[in-house]
Amino acid sequence: METEFEKSKSYGKGEQPLVVARRSPGESGDVNSDVAEEIGHSLGEVTVYSAQSSIRNPVQLVQDIFSDFWQGRELAWRLFLRNIRGLYRQTLLGLFWAFLPPIANTAIWIFLRQANVFSMGDTQVDGTVYILTGMILWQAFIDAFQMPLAMLNKNRNLISKLNFPRESLILVGFGEVLFDLLIRLLLLVPAFLIFQVPLHTSILYAPIAILGLVLIGAALGLLLMPIGSLYQDVGRFISMVLPFWMIITPIIYVPLTTYPGSLLNWINPASPLLLLARDWLLLGTTTHFAVGMVFAVAAIPISLIALVVYRVSLPVLIERMTA
Amino acid sequence: MNLSRSSSSDLILDVDHVWKVYCRNLKRAMWYGLKDVGREIIGGGRDRSHHNLRLGEFFAVKDASFQVRRGECLAMIGPNGAGKSTMLKMINGLIKPNSGSIKISGQIGALIELGTGFNPILSGQENIYINGAVLGMRKREVDGLMEKIVEFAELGHVINDPIKTYSSGMRVRLGFSIAANLRPELLLMDEVLAVGDVGFRMKCFTHLNELVKQGVSIVLVTHAVGMLQRVATRSVVFGQGKIVHDGDLETGCTIYEEMLGASDRVRAKNKEESGRIGEIGSVEVCNEGMEPQAEFETGETIRLRIQINAREEIKDARLIVALCSPVHGVLGSVSTPYQGIQFDVDPPGRVITLEIPKIPFLIGAYHFNISLFGREKVDFYHRSSLRGVFRIVGPPTDADGYGINGITKLQHSWKING
Repeated sequence: METEFEKSKSYGKGEQPLVVARRSPGESGDVNSDVAEEIGHSLGEVTVYSAQSSIRNPVQLVQDIFSDFWQGRELAWRLFLRNIRGLYRQTLLGLFWAFLPPIANTAIWIFLRQANVFSMGDTQVDGTVYILTGMILWQAFIDAFQMPLAMLNKNRNLISKLNFPRESLILVGFGEVLFDLLIRLLLLVPAFLIFQVPLHTSILYAPIAILGLVLIGAALGLLLMPIGSLYQDVGRFISMVLPFWMIITPIIYVPLTTYPGSLLNWINPASPLLLLARDWLLLGTTTHFAVGMVFAVAAIPISLIALVVYRVSLPVLIERMTA
Repeated sequence: MNLSRSSSSDLILDVDHVWKVYCRNLKRAMWYGLKDVGREIIGGGRDRSHHNLRLGEFFAVKDASFQVRRGECLAMIGPNGAGKSTMLKMINGLIKPNSGSIKISGQIGALIELGTGFNPILSGQENIYINGAVLGMRKREVDGLMEKIVEFAELGHVINDPIKTYSSGMRVRLGFSIAANLRPELLLMDEVLAVGDVGFRMKCFTHLNELVKQGVSIVLVTHAVGMLQRVATRSVVFGQGKIVHDGDLETGCTIYEEMLGASDRVRAKNKEESGRIGEIGSVEVCNEGMEPQAEFETGETIRLRIQINAREEIKDARLIVALCSPVHGVLGSVSTPYQGIQFDVDPPGRVITLEIPKIPFLIGAYHFNISLFGREKVDFYHRSSLRGVFRIVGPPTDADGYGINGITKLQHSWKING
């Protein structure tokens, strides 16, 4: 094969290179260093697309992922603003829609508890605040869990027609989940005042647990995204399972401490960090520190794996999006 | 492959023996997709060229190789489903080739669809920032180009209104204006030439020509071959996934038009029934000396030799011949009664010759549709489409306003008054 890329010295008549952002798709790991050397481009911008899986060059792949996060930061910010602005512009109640789900859910469960349908156990603080906090955290977890697939479906058109740093979509999704969470956390201010919940310094650590919770939710969702994008069964299954999942998560009751019920606190990925976060927000002391931190630390490698899966699977998914 | 071009120009795009596999069965495509994702994750992307196909799969692109140099405008043309858009998507890095490689030097700008990512609720200006960011521009760069973009799109008066109040033409103008002002090194365009009103289209062509002059390379996919001469310098013709032509634009367009005719011809043949009383037999395009010939120059004489077959006698037969172009349709139609020709056809048949002196048409592919009737309107015997295919191959036309262009060579004369 003749390769005769030659030195490109200029952009033509006084043209400034506007953006020199290598648009590397899932397979970008294969920036072929031989070719790059051979070309000796002043731009150094040679992209090679081939059948080879980019996972063969993991260091490059991870570098590309982070570089695209960096490249896509401004786009992510723009899209985030666009979505937030667009979201409430055509509504009558506006931001109130962000508050509504946890309030409604809490109201239902408080009503059921007062009707003595179930017992919560000793919550140490007022039951309403306990459930409300749990609901807000749970909502953030499942929002994060469902975000990757929702993001992909919402941006199908963009993803299948333009090559841009797709990591920015994850940033946008993550940002939206956190934005909604922050708005909902505002509900705790009146709740704390009304039910006279004492403030503990542990509230300051709570963000760590909350971030871990959202991160692990998003990572799991991202891992499921390729299957979910190909088979709609996944999305249907998830929406069917969510209520059960919520029941086995200690939101409306105090976590079980006896075996085998206590096992749920370990195998349910939503539990440990939710419990830790809630304890830190409301109680000041916690018995879930160890488990919670294991999950928080584990969230980081899981997220990294999920990002690799996302990047590597996208070209295959795009092929099936437009056909 | 055309490597004879000036070697001093840089190679921007090198497509090297690329194959792409698709599957039309939805369920199977999903299952294969899952397997492919798994394979990608464990790093086992395998070479899928040649005959390594799974059940239900076919090659959308077969062993395609071509190159694009700095300042070249390449048109990818071909019938629907020939693999052009798939190729463009691979160049854009949206999907991966199954075998072979694509090397691109420099930044790519892509206009696969204009205005992708516009939010209808936000204003034109807000959308310029978003679209610019999607295409890889920083805010600072968009700021610098804002005036130019708005001016080019001719939307200064409405740029602060929400996009949903724009007409579709206005949206397209805005989309083109953003992407065209990017100045990438390689611009990819899929069917975006046929946009806007004529005035804006001309402006787009002028702009693209300017980009090419400044060293931007363009690869475009279009069906509107008539407009290609305004921008493209070279063509690659796709037919059923394969590249059947890589070279000059005129030949490429002619081959494409002929391919369109060929696929129609197959369809027409399938519809044909047998057992007619009279039918059009062999049809041959000949030169003045009645020798079969397929290529002519504008102004030459064409003779069409038509064999009519008959099982029974046809009294007062009528023959209607239409000269057609696959792109423009019927260009002209003549009949035997118009010139007072009367004839009967006795079994087994006879030959009729139609002469068209000084054919006025310019470069392109042409064919005839022939119908056989009896005396009355209802006495229909046979209609045969896409017969006698021939090409006009010269003299060259010129889309820049220095020569002649269009489909016919007009008889004309100029006079300077005053």
